[in-house]
Amino acid sequence: MSEAELHLFNEAAKCTFYTIQFLSDDESEYEKFFTRFKDDAQFNPDLARIVAILDNIGQNGALERFFRYEGKMSDRVVALPVLSSKLRLYCIRLSNGILVLGNGGVKKTRTYGEDDTLRGYVLDLQKFDKLLKDGERDGSIKITESTIETDKIFDI
Amino acid sequence: MKTTKTSFQDMMAIVPPEIKEEMRLSFSISNRIDELMRERGLNKKQFAEALGRRPCEVTKWLSGQHNFTLRTLAMLSAFFGKAIVNV
Repeated sequence: MSEAELHLFNEAAKCTFYTIQFLSDDESEYEKFFTRFKDDAQFNPDLARIVAILDNIGQNGALERFFRYEGKMSDRVVALPVLSSKLRLYCIRLSNGILVLGNGGVKKTRTYGEDDTLRGYVLDLQKFDKLLKDGERDGSIKITESTIETDKIFDI
Repeated sequence: MKTTKTSFQDMMAIVPPEIKEEMRLSFSISNRIDELMRERGLNKKQFAEALGRRPCEVTKWLSGQHNFTLRTLAMLSAFFGKAIVNV
């Protein structure tokens, strides 16, 4: 198990973005994803599209139709983009107003489940999603239409 | 709550203007199609059937990330009897 916190990433007009910070790491999960591909000549344009998609999601809300569902029926794990890229960013879509960004990578197999690294990112988000649901249930986390209120340390 | 070290604005700085514009157009078109579907009271399945297309195609159009061809835009505009884009 690893200890992690939720960090605020961006408050846009119609969506608030959060990401997960493992206490043992220097960067949050989304920052690690960004840093890994920003200087990659092959995948930089795909990364730029994902960043631009997030910008548009901020202005329109995290509507269901903007995402690809990747996890199980019981969780809220989604992926971006929907189309034309091997680069995938995994997220938890809590509502139209809240998106928790995770890590991601290049999808080289038919499904993410066949790739140990990508499966690990999705599993982390599935665990984190369950911890958010548990915290909301026991009152230790408050989730409104567009905010998550918590200073909790999570064991993922 | 703590915030990330890198801001969203810092990350947006790597996005070339043409990609910003591509995604803005793509999201605007998908929102316009969604709006026209609602006006007609069509869900995704009904809309796909009315056009003789597969529902997964409509999913792509509504994703905000589809690279539309002029042919598709003209077909959608003709179906709704309204402009999808104004030039």
